[in-house]
Amino acid sequence: MNRPEPRPVPASPVDRCGAVLEAAAAVILGKEHELRLALTCLLARGHLLIEDLPGVGKTTLAHLLARLLGLDYARIQFTSDLLPADVIGVAVYDRASESFRFHPGPVFSQLVLADEINRATPKAQSALLEAMEERQVTVEGETRALPEPFFVIATQNPLHQIGTFPLPESQLDRFLMRIELGYPAAHQEKRLLAGEDRRALVARQAPVLVPAELAALQELVVAVHAAPAVIDYVHDLLAFTRASGRFAYGLSPRAGLGLVRAAKAWALLGGRDYVLPEDVQAVLPACCAHRLVGSGEGAVLDACRVDAEILAHVPVP
Amino acid sequence: MATERAHWPEPVPDRLQRLWLTLLVIAGALPLLPRLDWRIGAFASALFALRLLALRWHGVQPGRWLLVLLTLVGIANCLHVYGSLSGRQGGAALFLTMLALKLLELHARRDLQIAAILLGFLVVVQFLFDQSLGLALYLALVVGAMLTLLADINATTGGGRLRPALTTTTRLALQALPLTLVLFLLFPRLSAPLWDLGLDAEQARTGFSDTMEPGAVSELVVNGELAFRVRFDATPPPPDQRYWRGLVLWQTDGRRWTVGEPPRTGPASLALAAAADRLDYEVVLEPTDRRWLFALDLPVAAEGVVLAPDHLLRASRAVESALRYRVRSVLDARTPAPSAALRDYALRLPAGTITPRMRALVASWRGEGADDQTVVRRALAYFNREAFHYTLLPPPLGPNPVDTFLFETRRGFCEHYASSFATLMRLAGIPSRVVLGYLGSEPNAIGGYHMVWQSDAHAWVEVLLPGRGWVRVDPTAAVDPSRIDNQSASRLLGAGNPVRFELAQDAWLARLARGARQFADSIDAAWQQWVLDFSAEDQLGLLQRLGLGGLGEYGLAVLMVVTFSLTLGAVLLGLVRAPREPDPLVARHARFCRRLARIGLAPHPGEGPQDHGRRVIAARPDLAAPVSRFLALYLPARFGPAPDPRTVARLDALLRGFRPRRRR
Repeated sequence: MNRPEPRPVPASPVDRCGAVLEAAAAVILGKEHELRLALTCLLARGHLLIEDLPGVGKTTLAHLLARLLGLDYARIQFTSDLLPADVIGVAVYDRASESFRFHPGPVFSQLVLADEINRATPKAQSALLEAMEERQVTVEGETRALPEPFFVIATQNPLHQIGTFPLPESQLDRFLMRIELGYPAAHQEKRLLAGEDRRALVARQAPVLVPAELAALQELVVAVHAAPAVIDYVHDLLAFTRASGRFAYGLSPRAGLGLVRAAKAWALLGGRDYVLPEDVQAVLPACCAHRLVGSGEGAVLDACRVDAEILAHVPVP
Repeated sequence: MATERAHWPEPVPDRLQRLWLTLLVIAGALPLLPRLDWRIGAFASALFALRLLALRWHGVQPGRWLLVLLTLVGIANCLHVYGSLSGRQGGAALFLTMLALKLLELHARRDLQIAAILLGFLVVVQFLFDQSLGLALYLALVVGAMLTLLADINATTGGGRLRPALTTTTRLALQALPLTLVLFLLFPRLSAPLWDLGLDAEQARTGFSDTMEPGAVSELVVNGELAFRVRFDATPPPPDQRYWRGLVLWQTDGRRWTVGEPPRTGPASLALAAAADRLDYEVVLEPTDRRWLFALDLPVAAEGVVLAPDHLLRASRAVESALRYRVRSVLDARTPAPSAALRDYALRLPAGTITPRMRALVASWRGEGADDQTVVRRALAYFNREAFHYTLLPPPLGPNPVDTFLFETRRGFCEHYASSFATLMRLAGIPSRVVLGYLGSEPNAIGGYHMVWQSDAHAWVEVLLPGRGWVRVDPTAAVDPSRIDNQSASRLLGAGNPVRFELAQDAWLARLARGARQFADSIDAAWQQWVLDFSAEDQLGLLQRLGLGGLGEYGLAVLMVVTFSLTLGAVLLGLVRAPREPDPLVARHARFCRRLARIGLAPHPGEGPQDHGRRVIAARPDLAAPVSRFLALYLPARFGPAPDPRTVARLDALLRGFRPRRRR
C-alpha cells in the first residue's frame, strides 16, 4: 500500500504525457482540464499564473508536476519584505578560498513556485520576472544560466488586495497562461475529503518523465505543424481583439506567438502533429484572458468571458 | 477640430495628380469649346494655361482675392455672352468657367476629388449638345481616366502607381455594367425629348428653309452631314429616279420662291391614275427641327406620319430627334388634274421682273402653236444647247435674278435652273411649281441601307401637262448630266468648294474612302437605332416579349426595381464572397456542413470542425461512421503538414452518399 504501484510505461514520451495527466488527476481531483493546461504551458516553455483562493491546491499542483516530471522544485513565499537576493541568490565571502562564492537562490530550480507573487514589492517581483523572461540571472557581473527546463508557477490571491502589489498588465504578459482552479465538484470534493493526505500522496509519486524527455517533448512542440489556415485564424482572433472595440487594447504579437505555441503543445498532448482550430480555442481563454481588459472596465477579463467575447465572433476555418 | 487636423493632416495632392487632373479637365472640355461662344472658351483656356503655369512656377498661383476677382469676371463673361446663367448654353458656359476656376485651388485631396467629380458633370452636360457615338466613346475614355485618377487619389497606401488604380477602375466599371444595362433597358423613358424640359434649342440645324433664293441651297451642298437613311424592302430604284420630295414652292416674287398659299379645294388628290410598281421603304430622318419629311417621288401611303396635300409627308411635330417612318412610293404615278383655282395659282407670274427678252424666248418656243410638251422639250434643249454652266460658286445676280441668269451670267446650280425654268414655264402658260428635296442616295454595303447626305440637296420643277398631271422636270439635269451621274467625287472630298481635283471613281483611294465612310455610317446607324432611338415603345415591346406586357407602364417600374435589386444583390454577394480563396477542401467541408444544416446540425458560430463533428455524433450516433470518416480525411488534409492529394476525390466519394435525413 505504501509502495507506488509500478505503472506500465508507455513507449513514446508523447504517450507518457497521458500517463502524467492520469497520475496527476488521481491526486488533484476533478481538475483534468486545468492540469492539461498546466502541462501544455510547461511543454510550450511558458510560465503559469494560477489565480485563486488559498487552499484550492495550487501548491499541490506545482509540487505534483515537479514530481511527475522529475524536476527539482523550489518554493518562494513572496512577502512584502522579500528582497531580490532572496530569489536570485547571494555571493558570500568564503574564507577557505578567499573569494566570494555564489549561493544560488531558489530561482535556480527547474520548477519554481512563486507563492502569492503579488505580496512582494515590485522590485522583488521584477527580479523573478526578469529571470523568467531571460532564463538567466546576472549576479555580481556574472551571467548564470538557469536550469533547463525552467518553469515558474506563480500564484496570486485575488482577494485581500490591500497592501499588495498586483502585477501590472505588462508583467502579466510574461505569463503564457493564467488559470483558475476553483472549487472541485461536489462528488470529487467528497472523495478528496475521504481520501489520503495529498502531501503524502504527492511524495509517493514516481517520476513519469525524465528531464531529457521533457526537453525532447518541448522540441516536438516546436515541430508541430500549424497550417496557414490556422495561422490566419490566430491572426483573425488577434485582429478582432484589436478592432472590435470590446477591449481597451488588443492582444500583442507576443500573445499571438504564445497562443500558437500553446496550441501546438495542446495538439501534441492530443496526439496530433498538426494544430486544429479547436486547439487554439482550447488554450485561448487561458492564454489571453489575463492580457485583455474589457473596454470601460478596469480589470482583466474572466477566462470564461473570452469564449463569448471572441470565439463566437471570429469565423473558424 | 483644429487639433485633429493637426494630428491627421490631409494628404497634400502631389504635383503629378494635379497635372493629370488638369489635363483630363482640358481633354473633357475640348469637345464643348466649339459649341460655346468663343469668349467662354477663351476665358476657360486662359485659366487652364494659368493652372499649368502655376504647376511649374508656384509664384504664378493666384491668391485668394485674385481668385474671387476671376470668379466675378467669369460670371460676368457668361452673363454678357448669353444673358443668363441658366439654359443649355448659359449653364454649360458657367459650369465650364467654374470648373476651370476650381482647378486653381487644388490645395487638398478633397479639392481634387471635387474637381474630378465636377468633370463627370461636365461630361454629362455635353450630351445635351451632341449624342454621337464618337463623342460618347471619347468621353467614356475621359471618364475612365478620371476614375483611374480618382482611385489613385483615394489610394490609402502609396498611390502613384497605375496598375492598382486601373484594377480598381476596371472592377468598378464591371460592377456598374449590369446596373447600367438595367437602367438603360428599364428606366422609364420620357416620350418627349429633353429639349422640352425647358432647355433652349436656339441652335437651328442647317437644313431646308421653306423658301428658295438662289444662294441658299449652296450652303446645303457644302454641308457634309447626313440627311437621312433609307432601307428599301426590295430592289432600290435606279439612281436617276431617286428624287426625294420634301417641299413644294408655289409662289415667287421674281427673286425668291415660297410655299405661298395655294387654294385647297376638296380632299388631297390621292387618287392615282396609274400605279406602276410599288416601292416600300423605311426612312430614318436626322433631326431637322422642321415638320417636313422626305419621300421618293411619289409617296402614296405612309406609316406614322401624315400624308399632306401635294403628296408631301409631314410629321405631327418638329423633328427634334431622329424620326423613323415607313413609306410606300410609286415611281411613275400620274396625278389627276387639279382644280382650276390651283391651276391659276400655279400660273401666277411675279410682277415687274418679266423682261421682253424672256417673253421673246418663250414666244420662240411656243411658235407654230406647239403643245405644252413640246415647249418643255424645247426649253430643256435651250438649257442644254446654250452655254449654261453648273457651278456651286455662281456670280452674284442683280435685282432681277431670273433675267440676269438666263441671258448674262448663265452660271448657277439647281436653284437657279429650277427658278428660271419654272418662271419661263408660267410665262408660256404652263402651270409649274418648284420642288425642294434631295437627289440620289449612296448605298451602304455594310449596313445594307442607303445614305442621303445634305450635299444631295436639290431643287427641281414640276409642270402640269394635260392628261399627265404633274410631271417632274429637272432642268439642271439638262445642263449638266454629271450632276446626277457623277454623284460622289466632289462630296467625297469633303464637299470642297470649289472642287480642287477629281478622283476617278475606281481609284483605290476613292474606294477606300468610300468604304471607310460607309463603315463609319453603319456604326452610327446602329448607335442611332439601338441606343439613341431606344424609346418608351421599345421598352413596352421588350416587356411584351418578356410576357409582362399586361403590366403596362407599372411593369417597367416593377421590373426595374426587381432587376436592379437582384443585380445589386448579386454584385454585393460577389463582393462579400470575393476574398474567399477557392480551396477545394474548404468547398467540400462547406458542402458537408450544408448537408448537416438540413437536419438542423449546422456548425455554431465559432465552433471548430472537430467540435462540430463530435456534437453531430452525440446528437445522431447513426451518423458517427460517415462523419468521423469525413473528419479523419478532412482535418489532416486541411490542417496537416503533408496533405494527401487524393483527399478531395475521397471526400467527393464520401459526400455523394452522405445525405442525412431528419429522424421521423
